[in-house]
Amino acid sequence: MPAEWPWATWPRFSAIRKTSTFRLAVMFGAASVLAVLLVLAMVYSLTAGNLDTRVDLILRAEMARLVAVPPADLPAAIDASSRAGANPLGHFGLISPGGRWVAGDLGASPPLRLGHTYAREDGPDVRGPLHILAERTAGGFIIMVGRDSTVITELRDHVLVILLASGLVVVPLLLGAGLALSLGPLRRVDRLQRVASTIAGGRLDARMPIEGRGDELDLLADTVNHMVGEVERSMAQVKSVTDAIAHDLRTPLTRVRNQLYRAARAPNLPEAEGQRINAAIEDLDTVLARFAALLRISEIEAGHRRQGFAATRIDELVAVVIDLYAPLAEEREVALLAGSLAPVTLVCDAQLMVEALSNLLDNAIKFSPPGGTVMVTVTREGGQAVIAVVDEGEGIPAEQVDAVVRRFDRGAASPAVPGSGLGLSVVAAVAHLHQFALELAPARADRARPGLAARIRAGHVPAM
Amino acid sequence: MARILVIEDDPDTAGEIVAELRGHGHEVRAANDGDSGVELALREPFDAITLDRMLPGLDGLSVVARLRAAGLTLPVLMISALGDVDERIAGLRAGGDDYLIKPFAPDEMAMRVEVLLRRQGQMAASTALLTAGPVEMDLIRREVRVAGEPVRLLHMEFRLLEFLMRNAGETVARQIIFERVWGYYFDPGANLIAVHIARLRKKIDLPGQPSLIETVKGEGYRFDAG
Repeated sequence: MPAEWPWATWPRFSAIRKTSTFRLAVMFGAASVLAVLLVLAMVYSLTAGNLDTRVDLILRAEMARLVAVPPADLPAAIDASSRAGANPLGHFGLISPGGRWVAGDLGASPPLRLGHTYAREDGPDVRGPLHILAERTAGGFIIMVGRDSTVITELRDHVLVILLASGLVVVPLLLGAGLALSLGPLRRVDRLQRVASTIAGGRLDARMPIEGRGDELDLLADTVNHMVGEVERSMAQVKSVTDAIAHDLRTPLTRVRNQLYRAARAPNLPEAEGQRINAAIEDLDTVLARFAALLRISEIEAGHRRQGFAATRIDELVAVVIDLYAPLAEEREVALLAGSLAPVTLVCDAQLMVEALSNLLDNAIKFSPPGGTVMVTVTREGGQAVIAVVDEGEGIPAEQVDAVVRRFDRGAASPAVPGSGLGLSVVAAVAHLHQFALELAPARADRARPGLAARIRAGHVPAM
Repeated sequence: MARILVIEDDPDTAGEIVAELRGHGHEVRAANDGDSGVELALREPFDAITLDRMLPGLDGLSVVARLRAAGLTLPVLMISALGDVDERIAGLRAGGDDYLIKPFAPDEMAMRVEVLLRRQGQMAASTALLTAGPVEMDLIRREVRVAGEPVRLLHMEFRLLEFLMRNAGETVARQIIFERVWGYYFDPGANLIAVHIARLRKKIDLPGQPSLIETVKGEGYRFDAG
C-alpha cells in the first residue's frame, strides 16, 4: 500500500480506543443510552400499570353488574355478555355451586383464585393473555370475568423492539462518533510525539506544531516549545562558552607548543631535557587536537557547510570505510564484516559521512571483545536508507544513550579504553547536519553483552 | 634548497613561517599583502608559495587565481584562520595545492611545504618507476618488487607505499599521510594509520633487516631508503 494513501497512516483501533476523546464519547453515549432506557422503562411501567388498573376497574365493574343479576338469570346474562361482538375484549364464565361449568366462553382452567385479578395464558391460537377476576355469589355460583390484555403485552413488546433497535443504531453510531472524534486529536498527538522524539534525539531547533485552535493541545505544544527554546538557548550559551574557550586557547597554546618545539631543537640540549620537552609537545598536541575536534563539531552543528553536498553512493562509501578499518579490526582480532550493502544514493557530504562512519567503526572495533564481530550493512527500510554498524561489545545502557552523544561523555566505557568522548558527538552532528536520524540501541537481548546497533537512518530515498 | 615566497600580512606569523622554512635550509622571501606578493611571484622564480587566505587588498583566493592565470604552476600552500571545511574546498578549488588552518605548528607547515615541493619535482620528472632502497615501484604496471621479488599490494597499500617512497628520507605526519593517500580531512587517530603502516611493513620489510618505514615518535613516518 503506498505510504501516501491517507488510510495507510491511520492510527490503529487499539490506539484510538485508548484516547480520552474516544473514551469520553463512548462514556457519554453509554450514559445517553442508559438515560433513554430508563425513560422507556418508566414509560412502559407507567403505561402498563395504568392499563392494568383500567382493566382491573373494568373487570370489577363487570363483576358488580353480574353479581347483581338474580341467580336464575345468571346463565343467560353470562351467555349474552360472551356473545361475539357484544364485548370484543371481554370473556365470561359461570360455574355452578357444584363445580360444573354452566355458561360463558372462558374455560375453567385452574388455578382459580377468588377475589383477586390474575393473569392467564390460554395458549397460542386460543386467546391472548387474559386478566381474570372470579367471585363467588351469595347463591354459591362462581362468576368469572376476563379481559384480553394483548394490548399490554404488545406495548411491552414494542418497547423492547424500540430498545433493541435503538441499541443497534446507537451503538455503532457511538463507536463511529468516538472514532471520528478521536482521529483528529490522535493524529495531532502523533505529530506532537514525532516532534518530541526529534527533540529528544537532540534536535533542539525542532518545534511542536501549533494548529491555531487555542485548545489544550495547542496550549501544551506552546508550553513545550517555550521550554525547548529555553533549553536550546541555555545549551547554545554553554556551547558558545566552550567554543570560545577552545578557540581562544588554541592560539596561545599553539604558541607555547611552537616555542617548546624550537627549544627542543636548540643545540647542545641535554637529551633528558629534550625528552621532557617532546613529552610536553605531545601532551599539547593532544589538547590542541581535542580543541580542534570541539570546534569542528561546532562547525558541523552550525550547519553552514553545503559545498560538499552531492549525490553519493553510500554503499560504496561504506565499503571504503570498511577497507580503511579492516587492518585495525584484524589487529584487535575482531571480524569486520560487510553484510548486505544495498545500492543507495544519498545527497550528502562524503567527507563528513566518511568521518561519521569512521567514528562508528572505530567505536565498534574498540569496544568489541577479541573474537567478536562487527557487521556493517546498508539497507532500505520503507523508503529510508539505513546504515547499520552492529557490534558485540557491552553496549550502551538505555539511560545513557542521550548522554553519549554529548561532547566528552564516554558513557560507562572503561578508562582503559582510549578515546576522547567526541566520536559519537561527531556522528550526531553529521547526522543532524544531513537531517538523518542517529539511533543507538542494544543489538540483541543478551543482558551481559547486548552489543550496540548504531543506525544512521536517512530520509526518503528514491528507488534505484 | 628551494626558493619559497611567503605572502602573509601578520608580522608574527610571517616571522614564524620564514624562520621555520629557513631552518629547513630554504631561501625565503616575504610579501605582506596580495598585490606585492603577486608582483614578486611574477618577477622572481620560486619553487613554492605559502599564502595567507585573508589579506588586505587582494585576498588569498584572488592571488592564487591571478598566479594560475599567469601560467604559474608552482605549488601553493594556503594558510587560513578560516577552519571551515567549505573554506578549505574553496581554497583548493581556487588553485591552492594544500590548506593549513591557523594556528598551526611550524613543523607541520614546513612538512606540508616539502611534500608539495617533492610532488612538484616528481611531476616535472614524470617518472613511471620509483626506486628507493630495495623497493622498486612500477607506477604504470602497478607492480612492486622488493630486492627483486614481486610483492602483491592492495590498492590503498600501493598508494601508501607510493606516497612514502615519493617522500623517501623525509618524515611525514600521519595527518598528511591520511589526507594525501586517502583524501580525507579529519583526524583518523594515531592507531588507524599505524596499523596500515604495520601491514605494509609486513609485506615489504626484508627478514632480519630494519624496517624500511621508520616511526618518528611524535612526528610521523619516514621511508628509509638506506
